[in-house]
Amino acid sequence: MRILIVEDEPTLQAQLAKGLSAAGYAVDTAANGIDAHYLGDAESYDAVILDLGLPQMDGITVLRKWRAAGRTMPVLILTARDGWHEKVAGIDAGADDYLTKPFHMEELLARLRALIRRAGGHASAEMTCGPLTLDTCNGRATVDGQALTLTSHEYKVLAYLMHHRDEVISRSDLVGHIYAQDFDRDSNTIEVFIARLRKKLPPGLIETVRGLGYRLSAPP
Amino acid sequence: MNMVAPRSSLRIRLLAGTLVWITASIIVAGWGLRSLFQQHVEAQFHAELKTHLDQLTAQLTLDSRGHASLALPLSDPRLSRPYSGCYWQIDQTHDGMPPETGVLRSRSLWDHVLATPPDTPADGEIHQHRIIGPEGKMLGMVERSVRIDDTPDGKSRSFRLIAAADESLMTEPVSRFSGALWLALGVLGGGLVIAALVQVFIGLAPLRKLHTALGKVQSGEMQHLDGDFPAEIMPLVDQFNAVLVQNAEVVERARTQAGNLAHALKTPLSVLSNAALAPDARDSALSRLVIDQVGTARRQLDYHLARAQAAATALIPGTRTPLSPIIDGLVRTMRHIHADRQLALTVMPVSPSLAFRGEPQDLQEMLGNLLDNACKWAAHQVEISARCEGGNLRILIDDDGTGLAAEQREAVIQRGVRADEQVPGSGLGLAIVDDLARLYGGRVELADSPLGGLRAVLILPVAQ
Repeated sequence: MRILIVEDEPTLQAQLAKGLSAAGYAVDTAANGIDAHYLGDAESYDAVILDLGLPQMDGITVLRKWRAAGRTMPVLILTARDGWHEKVAGIDAGADDYLTKPFHMEELLARLRALIRRAGGHASAEMTCGPLTLDTCNGRATVDGQALTLTSHEYKVLAYLMHHRDEVISRSDLVGHIYAQDFDRDSNTIEVFIARLRKKLPPGLIETVRGLGYRLSAPP
Repeated sequence: MNMVAPRSSLRIRLLAGTLVWITASIIVAGWGLRSLFQQHVEAQFHAELKTHLDQLTAQLTLDSRGHASLALPLSDPRLSRPYSGCYWQIDQTHDGMPPETGVLRSRSLWDHVLATPPDTPADGEIHQHRIIGPEGKMLGMVERSVRIDDTPDGKSRSFRLIAAADESLMTEPVSRFSGALWLALGVLGGGLVIAALVQVFIGLAPLRKLHTALGKVQSGEMQHLDGDFPAEIMPLVDQFNAVLVQNAEVVERARTQAGNLAHALKTPLSVLSNAALAPDARDSALSRLVIDQVGTARRQLDYHLARAQAAATALIPGTRTPLSPIIDGLVRTMRHIHADRQLALTVMPVSPSLAFRGEPQDLQEMLGNLLDNACKWAAHQVEISARCEGGNLRILIDDDGTGLAAEQREAVIQRGVRADEQVPGSGLGLAIVDDLARLYGGRVELADSPLGGLRAVLILPVAQ
């Protein structure tokens, strides 16, 4: 899962990036409206955390531009402005959730998880695919009730495939959503993670669609 | 209503001034006309008496025995009708002896003899007197002395010729004229008073219009004073509108500044609390202290900023906020913010004409906090309805949560008291809502909801 953090206060931005990375997200950051707009427009994110009071272009304008251009990624507004008129304006500009400062990192993470889950069309925190169950709240995967031991990268790949089950996901898609922008991307490592996952999962759950990518679906 | 209060009423001032002038002019005009007419009648009266006297003088002859007689009777028929009011008399005067009165008299005198005053006009002089005549009536009288030297017996004789007439011949027309005059002037005065009333009514109409317009601004029906006013009032209207605009700008600035202050303080607070909650710092005494103090600072900040923003409202007249769009916007927002709770948020049909007499942001703040609370506590269901009752807006927010015990309800509205520390901000929210509502002369009431949980009732002034 790849997240864009837009926050102009450097310390808070660093704390957010640290907290989200620790929770297993790939994190990109932007400190002003222009950069934020460019990144959100050019890259594919699973969610955006957006501050409103930004230099150069304010958050609401950035959000409106994304939505006008057809960008549908979930956006959580994180701001100190806590008036209800501001919340309504934020939601009406296309935000999916609104959290005010000061906040608890746990609450932000919970809301972010729910946001990503809902964006994938999943109503509950637990997602299942055949014998496989993934609880996004505590990051635990089980097969027929048996807990799986996954490394952080394996979990990221599995979670992304779970959120997009029955869809064909290309290797570059996976790379983009698992690594931050400034990370050294090598799509070959993806094959390594897929191979390791296949060993831990029942056979046939992850299928290779030749020339296109991978698909996670319940065996018939 | 102040405009017609007796003490400072423009209408009464104008009317009183006009009435004094009308009365004064009518009295002066009436008195002047009456005395002109009276002078004229008096002049005519005396001229007539003089004519009689002249005729008498011309007709006076002496008969063969030296007695006075008239060559021809005087032409005026009144002189021969008894007690007609017109009389003449001729006295014979003797030097050094009392006069022989009434040697010749008009027939109208019948057997009365006019008592003559004891003077003797010199030759050619005419004297005027008032004397008592027949039946005790006052007469106006003129007299003249005539001396006849050419007598049959050679002795010259002196006569006093008197013409008199009843004064009522003079006073009656004057009083008749006065009656007609005062009647006419009365009608004129009445007309003028009506004209003055109409003029004051028309002249003050723009003030009444201004009054109505001000009332509409105050009740929120209009944003500013509208319409055409006379040149004397227009500057006032323009200045008032300018003050309204300025007021709104000041409020907007104060709100923006409060928002900026919030932003400036809350971001550092976030940094502090996140640092204190970082895995390596967690559970140390310092981190607990920081978290505790950041929490206190946040609550204080929220409370005082909300108060500052509310106070900035200062109840600007002329603001009117339709209810329906505000509720819809907030419900949209709640559906996102509480998306995970999968609540059924129901808005009962709200009449599109229902409007709150106040700022949209304040209404959003009050309703937003109440709805947010309901969404936090509800099990499955939140219901919003609004109606106009007893000249007030009543907005009902029901939830099917656990509700609040009656003794707790009073407490949660108190500043900063929280019903449950686990659900952040709830107590503060209610206190702010109640404070804001009270600034508008409304309030928040808590009751049992038919849904099983809490019912919050927001009572606010309604805009026409």
